[in-house]
Amino acid sequence: MNLFTSSTLLTLFMLTTPIVASSTNFYKSNKYQHYVKNMTLLAFITSLIPTTMFVHTNQETLISSWHWITIHTLKLSLSFKMDYFSLMFMPVALFITWSIMEFSIWYMHSDPNINQFFKYLLIFLITMLILTTANNLFQLFIGWEGVGIMSFLLIGWWFGRSDANTAALQAILYNRIGDIGFLLSMAWFLSNTNTWDLQQIFMLNQSSPNIPLMGLTLAAAGKSAQFGLHPWLPSAMEGPTPVSALLHSSTMVVAGIFLLIRFYPLMENNKPIQTMVLSLGALTTLFTAICALTQNDIKKIIAFSTSSQLGLMMVTIGLNQPHLAFLHICTHAFFKAMLFLCSGSIIHSLNNEQDIRKMGGLYKILPFTTTALITGCLALTGMPFLTGFYSKDLIIEAATSSYTNAWALLLTLIATSLTAIYSTRIIFLTLLEQPRFPPLVSINETNPMLINPIKRLLIGSIFAGFILSNNMPPMTTPLMTMPLHLKLTALTMTILGFILAFEINSYSKTLKYPHPSNATNFSTLLGYFPTIMHRLPPYLVLTMSQKLATSLLDLTWMEVLLPKTTAHIQLKASLLTSNQKGLIKLYFLSFLITMTLTLVLFNYLE
Amino acid sequence: MNPFISIMLLSTLILSTTIVTISSHWLFAWIGLEMNMMAIIPIMMKNPTPRATEASTKYFLTQATASALLMLAIIINLMHSGQWTVMKLFNPTASLLMTMALAIKLGLAPFHFWVPEVTQGIPLTTGLILLTWQKLAPISILYQISPSINLHLMITMSFLSILIGGWGGLNQTQLRKIMAYSSIAHMGWMTTILLYNPSLTMLNLLIYIILTFTMFTLLIQNSTTTTLLLSQTWNTMPIMTTFTMLTLLSMGGLPPLTGFMPKWMIIQELTKNDTLLLPTLMAITALLNLYFYMRLTYSTALTLFPSTNNMKMKWQFHPTKQMTLLPTAIVLSTMLLPLTPMFFILL
Amino acid sequence: MLKFIIPTVMLMPLTWLSKNKFIWINTTTHSLLISFTSLLLLNQFNDSSLNYSLTFFSDSLSAPLLMLTMWLLPLTLMASQSHLVKEPLTRKKLYITMLIMLQILLIMTFTATELIMFYITFESTLIPTLIIITRWGNQPERLNAGLYFLFYTLMGSLPLLVALTYLQNTLGSLNFLLLQYWAQPLPISWSNTLMWLAYMLAFLVKMPLYGLHLWLPKAHVEAPIAGSMVLAAVLLKLGGYGMLRITSILNPMTEHMAYPFLVLSLWGMIMTSSICLRQTDLKSLIAYSSISHMALVITATLIQTPWSYMGATALMIAHGLTSSMLFCLANSNYERTHSRTMILTRGLQIFLPLMATWWLLACLANLALPPTINLIGELLVITSTFSWSNLTIILMATNILITALYSLYMLIMTQRGKHTHHINNLTPSFTREHALMALHIIPLLLLSLNPKIILGSLY
Repeated sequence: MNLFTSSTLLTLFMLTTPIVASSTNFYKSNKYQHYVKNMTLLAFITSLIPTTMFVHTNQETLISSWHWITIHTLKLSLSFKMDYFSLMFMPVALFITWSIMEFSIWYMHSDPNINQFFKYLLIFLITMLILTTANNLFQLFIGWEGVGIMSFLLIGWWFGRSDANTAALQAILYNRIGDIGFLLSMAWFLSNTNTWDLQQIFMLNQSSPNIPLMGLTLAAAGKSAQFGLHPWLPSAMEGPTPVSALLHSSTMVVAGIFLLIRFYPLMENNKPIQTMVLSLGALTTLFTAICALTQNDIKKIIAFSTSSQLGLMMVTIGLNQPHLAFLHICTHAFFKAMLFLCSGSIIHSLNNEQDIRKMGGLYKILPFTTTALITGCLALTGMPFLTGFYSKDLIIEAATSSYTNAWALLLTLIATSLTAIYSTRIIFLTLLEQPRFPPLVSINETNPMLINPIKRLLIGSIFAGFILSNNMPPMTTPLMTMPLHLKLTALTMTILGFILAFEINSYSKTLKYPHPSNATNFSTLLGYFPTIMHRLPPYLVLTMSQKLATSLLDLTWMEVLLPKTTAHIQLKASLLTSNQKGLIKLYFLSFLITMTLTLVLFNYLE
Repeated sequence: MNPFISIMLLSTLILSTTIVTISSHWLFAWIGLEMNMMAIIPIMMKNPTPRATEASTKYFLTQATASALLMLAIIINLMHSGQWTVMKLFNPTASLLMTMALAIKLGLAPFHFWVPEVTQGIPLTTGLILLTWQKLAPISILYQISPSINLHLMITMSFLSILIGGWGGLNQTQLRKIMAYSSIAHMGWMTTILLYNPSLTMLNLLIYIILTFTMFTLLIQNSTTTTLLLSQTWNTMPIMTTFTMLTLLSMGGLPPLTGFMPKWMIIQELTKNDTLLLPTLMAITALLNLYFYMRLTYSTALTLFPSTNNMKMKWQFHPTKQMTLLPTAIVLSTMLLPLTPMFFILL
Repeated sequence: MLKFIIPTVMLMPLTWLSKNKFIWINTTTHSLLISFTSLLLLNQFNDSSLNYSLTFFSDSLSAPLLMLTMWLLPLTLMASQSHLVKEPLTRKKLYITMLIMLQILLIMTFTATELIMFYITFESTLIPTLIIITRWGNQPERLNAGLYFLFYTLMGSLPLLVALTYLQNTLGSLNFLLLQYWAQPLPISWSNTLMWLAYMLAFLVKMPLYGLHLWLPKAHVEAPIAGSMVLAAVLLKLGGYGMLRITSILNPMTEHMAYPFLVLSLWGMIMTSSICLRQTDLKSLIAYSSISHMALVITATLIQTPWSYMGATALMIAHGLTSSMLFCLANSNYERTHSRTMILTRGLQIFLPLMATWWLLACLANLALPPTINLIGELLVITSTFSWSNLTIILMATNILITALYSLYMLIMTQRGKHTHHINNLTPSFTREHALMALHIIPLLLLSLNPKIILGSLY
């Protein structure tokens, strides 16, 4: 017994203390937020112990304690899996959350419910950690749903705004569509393998079945906003910026990818599913990159870039490189969190202005944010020796040197170069040129609560990739040699993107289209996707429920068929039998008829 | 009415019924029935209003017809078998005629027309006698001749009565008419089981009498004759609303009230005889009765019926009528169900 | 079982003899004490059952339901206090008496050993419920609701009486405990089809099955708070309980007959939950959501696997607590805004923040968030229907989606968004109300720690 399990559990336990503390009076003081932040920091430090041990000794552990329930032969207990993925992910998530929390103290300082906000952030993180450490599907589902619900609460944080509520509901709706897949695979595993434990599932399914994997893919597509289920991600920008940062970097959206990574022992043998995932990822990464090109909201651009990166991770899983996808999750978390924090800083400084057309020239006023933003953008595009490079370059290399679906690879490559284009666009429009914002804004980026987290993440964005890729034990055999042109593909695509972006930007200053082209419309209207999918199906469903379910069936036919008809028949019968004039002559006539009939029927015919 | 005459009439009423129940000679039985009719008619005409006159005329005519038919049946039987013993009725024709004659007296459908008309025309107390005591004599004869009654005729008539009793009551607002229709329906239940298990008929009759007695006593208390008047009960005696409701529901046969007992037993007996459809239909038809009882319940206990202010002044008049038997009657009409095994042994 | 029945009966004298200001607190505390003693029932130390007498017994299926029943009486009493504040004292006492009567009858229903005893008490619960709905409801529509309630139930259950007497005549006993050993198989024939219908219809109406459900929204909407709570939490479960009990004697007929009803309930599940999407009336929404949840129980019961039985039992308990809580919440809104229309009660979070937390928890439980017992129930049901027919997952999944949607729609509609101006002067929520909500949610959360006790018989 070493510190391995105990320090991991300690990490989780430490995070729950602020939640317990929230029921005390301490919750009302303004020290609570700092307490939460410091607890996260402590948890981060504690979590480094098992991670370091893992890096050094490559040991994996499973804690299975507290037997929860046994139903027939199914035994469910609380069990934590401490393996490559969960141990690597925990410190990254904790580090980023810590930074974001510190940033939130600055960003949300005027919010009256800031303590509650911190509690929500913390629960969000905890559910994500439950998700990553879970060893059985039920526990995973707890984390899975917990992340979804917390995102609902956090996106809808400003509950007075109907946009925020709609976005929150939208997030839940798309996630629930994904949950269908999750439930499907849970039901499948239960009825076919009679277990929800991950090892047992992997042991028992050597043939890698299609149904549950399709379910899991659907679940991942819902959670990670893959094409078809992607619109909630940009809408989620209605939440406060720290929420977006947390949501997009280390929690929530990567959960879907993480799920597929968890299930790679099943995925790796199943070609059809892999091809599906590959195509889905490629489509997502290209589509969202195109959407990002023409957005004007700074947070939306970054959100679409997340979506695009998620597509890239999906592609990596499709290429049967789950560990590489995981590396990209970790590296991506740093610079994406930082990009959001930078945008938060800008938005806050410009008095809640999010439109990049009304920014510009910020490099003089916000020098530090500018530095961070540019580094983040470059890391995002995969500039060599920044964090993004270490994973993205490997992914592109793996893609180009594999012999799978060429179209999917081509789409991915195009998306890579588009990444450079929209990153440049952010830089150009927000930081360079002349200021386009009203002069009366109080711009101040000296607050250490703002500077420190960004600084920390900036260091992370520069060095994390290097550190991670050097310390993560390699799980797949890396490609040792490849032709030069393949090696340079990624870089070439990115540089191509930059050049194009420079060109386009110089055009956009001099030339102005009299009316936007169809391509622009396609991009600005997000591929007409929300227009179609958010109007027609809800309209149909709601009309159906109103007209068919409520009016036609419930209020009309069911009423008519049973109660109304019965009442009607009884009423008629009642009128028929009891309306009479009270004439005794007729009574006697009826007596006579009855008696005659009776005598004839029963007496003479029998 | 002169008390002396009143006592005379009432004792004749009691005596005649007793004669019918104990006689084993057809002539005596017939005489008892005739005496019974003769005694009730003056009571019905106690207040000689046109309505009462009409009611008693109708009653007289139908009862006379029934008596004549009964005599005819007795004579046919006499010609056939040569004896007057009540228990021995062998001729099918005589049995059919006899059944129908008694059905007229009981007011079974399709001979039921007179019952609501007559009940509506007479005072509540007389109505109570008409709907309870007057059923004893015919039922006792039916009980005695039950082995020779034609099953098809009986079942047809009783099921028709249940139906008519349900449907008729739906169309009424006059409480006496409603009670009359409810009586028709109950008679239907009693006669259904007559051929299978006459003891259950007796049980049902007993419970029916208890329930009707309670209901009429409650009505007499406030001299209530219409639904509207019933809805004002809360002005004078609020507690009565609850009792009225419970009694009505008991009449409707809702468990766990007394009224469920005969229904349950009858259904049990019928299923024992492998008749499953009939009891189901009967039970469902009994819901019609329950419906109009519910309507009364609604106006009495469960809502404040719309009314003018003058009507609410009734609280000033304290009820003067002594109702000694009412508490017992209410208890009996609501709480007898747990004693079901006892009744089973008794009967 | 008399240790529960007698104290409950004695609550009636307690009500009538208490001093005027103590009627609520006395009855509430004492009924709460009784409900605590009912926790003893959960200790089902062997697999069969606890036989107390020839009349009453309890096993692992009835114990959770009994516990739920007894738990609910103090809650209904707490919930109705402000509803009755303007009533005269006698009426208050009468109301409490009605609730207690209902409780006694329910205890007897869940513990009855004899089927006919079960039937009688099952029917008897109608009377107090009817009185509560029609006497203390608010709108004139309550009369219609009462009639629908009574007549739907009776129409369904009268054939059951006939069927039970038939069973009594053929088997000679209606004892639950003996029945499973004595029961003859019910071979497939057209007359047995009718027999099956007679056995099941009463419970299907009570549940209610889609198509026979019209009484439920009406009754729920029109009933006063206690009525809605008891109806949703316990009375619907009578149907489920009866079905779980009676199916043991209906084989192999059930497999033959189940299909149309399975289809109907699966279809109805979607229909009723999509009705919820368009409801403007808060109570009606909760009522329809009850129907859709109960459809799951019907499906599970008709599939007849051990897993589905467990799911059905867990779902019943979970739904009992959740829907009752939702009705309480709707009522606390109603008492402040005097409207059930959701559009008039928007943005309450800003006024009643703690109440918003209860709303959130209740809605999350309603949409079966893990690890609540609602989810355990639903998962078991989904798994068993999935292994019965793979295609049902489509319907189940649609239902899950819609359930989440309308639950959150309800939450957003009432709690979020901008408040309307006419609700500026709301009464703050009382401690009583918070205690009420807490007493709903605490069992729900505690049960998810050890759901085994509410899974019914584990065979």
